[in-house]
Amino acid sequence: MTSNRTFQIFLGLYISIFFLYLFGPLIIMSVTAFNSAEFPSITPWECFSFRWFNEGKIAYDGQRLAGLAADRDLHVGLITSLFIALGVVALSVPIGMSAAIVLTQVHSKLRTLFYSMSIMPVLFPGVVIGISTVVLWDRIATIGGEGIISELGRNGIFLTILGQTCFISTYCFLIFVARLQRFDTTQEEAALDLGASQTQVFMKILIPYLMPAIGSSAVIAFLASFENYNTTVFSILSEQTLTTVIATKVRLGISPAISALAFVIICLTLVAAVLYEFFRRRQEKKKALESAAKMYKEISSDRLKEDSKKAFIFPKSIFVILFLFLMAILGWQQIIKNNLYGGECIAKAEDAKKSNFADQLKLLQNNADTLESEGGDGGTGSTNEYNDIFGDPNLFKNFGGFDN
Amino acid sequence: MGGFFKKNGSIISTFFLIAITFWLIFLILIPQLYMLDLSFRPNLPPLLRGGPDDVYTLTHYKHFVFGSETSKDAYNYVDIGVFVDTIGTAILVTIINLCFCYPIAFYIAKLATPNATRLLILALIIPFWINELLRSFAIRILFAGEGVINNLLLEMGLLDAAVNFIALDVALYTGLTYAYILLMIFPLYNALETLDTNQLEAAKDLGSSTIRTHWRIVIPHAKAGIASGSTMVFMLTAGALATPVVLSSPNTFWFTQLIYQWFNMNDNWSRGSAYSIILLVVSVAFVLLMMRIFRVAIGEVVR
Repeated sequence: MTSNRTFQIFLGLYISIFFLYLFGPLIIMSVTAFNSAEFPSITPWECFSFRWFNEGKIAYDGQRLAGLAADRDLHVGLITSLFIALGVVALSVPIGMSAAIVLTQVHSKLRTLFYSMSIMPVLFPGVVIGISTVVLWDRIATIGGEGIISELGRNGIFLTILGQTCFISTYCFLIFVARLQRFDTTQEEAALDLGASQTQVFMKILIPYLMPAIGSSAVIAFLASFENYNTTVFSILSEQTLTTVIATKVRLGISPAISALAFVIICLTLVAAVLYEFFRRRQEKKKALESAAKMYKEISSDRLKEDSKKAFIFPKSIFVILFLFLMAILGWQQIIKNNLYGGECIAKAEDAKKSNFADQLKLLQNNADTLESEGGDGGTGSTNEYNDIFGDPNLFKNFGGFDN
Repeated sequence: MGGFFKKNGSIISTFFLIAITFWLIFLILIPQLYMLDLSFRPNLPPLLRGGPDDVYTLTHYKHFVFGSETSKDAYNYVDIGVFVDTIGTAILVTIINLCFCYPIAFYIAKLATPNATRLLILALIIPFWINELLRSFAIRILFAGEGVINNLLLEMGLLDAAVNFIALDVALYTGLTYAYILLMIFPLYNALETLDTNQLEAAKDLGSSTIRTHWRIVIPHAKAGIASGSTMVFMLTAGALATPVVLSSPNTFWFTQLIYQWFNMNDNWSRGSAYSIILLVVSVAFVLLMMRIFRVAIGEVVR
């Protein structure tokens, strides 16, 4: 039995490591959003601040590090992204649904071909889809001459909607196929026998049956479109979406404002997940209660009735929330006590950095002066000293804003 | 065709036909075919297209293999090197992900209680909802020169000087493994879930060791999941752009970045198309290979 025990411990350890790997980076990134330093980090902790959610700051080299609330690019990109995502949902859900319904009606050989073609876009790299959309529409726009066609063909938002619809339709298609596999076709036949028209059958039977699939495929399509980068970066042309704005920012230099954005997205995701789980559990409970009530009616046993009348019990998760809340309050008090939050702390940190910066400037000046006095006659052998200026290990050490 | 219209009614049939034609022909088939066509044409300014110079040529594919005409090397070592690197890394990442995910998927599917299973799956989905760029950014914070790992190791005295993880590509490989790990777990989980637990118990009762049970029963049962997960991870890793943009060092290139460069910076669309076709062919070949190795139908690869 001991080997079983060690196996259990080993397994538990492995799973913990796995989830640490999954969540660790996200947690650390979230924490860095609250550090006032210009570089997203934890260990040289300056001050606890919300500046990256608000206005950001201006670094010493004049680079403007905008916070979330002050970043116009981000807002424009967000609106474009939402618009594109809605367009993709509006196109890909009907397409996926039609394809899935038609798949149930075609037979044998044609069916295999149709299915293979429908799932092909998932197997294409995203960049390929983006490029093919752009080159085709550029050609169409050139041939189309002036007017609406040429305008559409060079409109990044339109192209992005088309490019994303190409493969997101497949996701919707697969969801609908899964749902339709459990569809009872006798319902349709019964309705037809009772004199309903085909359109009525479609609207009154098939659509209500597919409603859950429509909902989930719309959500999936929205999310997939919203976070797509590979296709969008090619097809968006001169416009900007949220993802391309983020990519540009990350490439230019990493700022804690991105951590702040990530923190917001993580929080939204968590809330959505908790709500989803909550509603699912409630529905399950409701279903269980209903079946219990039904059973009670059938056999009228008192025992079942008592069960259904149980008093309200606190769910266990309440304690977890309470605990977290308590920890947050305690932590906050600790931060205030140690003067790690507020203008005072930030001013102190800025002063420290400013004097550091001044020291470094002075050092640079001194080095340059000595160089000038030593190699005054335009000496060619001064490269060594010149190298020394920049080889000084203290130079730019706490300058911030740089990343190797 | 007549039967189709009769079955659905004329309005809905027309709607179906328009939607499907639009998708299959207009969004999938024609763009790819046009890109294929473009990849065989010289890079011309828009006005000269369709003129006498616009003939079929292999220049772009030749450029990929032999390099530009002015270079002295016999082959285009830079581009081929990037390509081989990308494919090799993608295969490596796929294998790492498979080994890493198999125990977790098995645990969730067979060993955990139903409640725990649901929570674990929810916990797995949450990181997947967060943008790929932001997840890569999280890895970057960890591995940057003044990042968390460096500072931690320095403080513990394990390092004398900061290690440049990004230049060593450690960050890139970690990021790629991290990015698509869930696409490996879910197919594996779905396949393992259908395995009858009685089979495991029977194997145990008959004296089979754990490893033997896995090798002879669990893995053969999960082969569709393995094929599906591996294909997905390979395709996405080889075609990744977001993660390399955030995490690759200045002197490492991913093949998609090469395509991006030809396309956007050098404005050579036909060469970008040619390189995309190369990537596409390799991806499709990998799918076919997986189908052959694991003897599964394409429908099982893409759930």
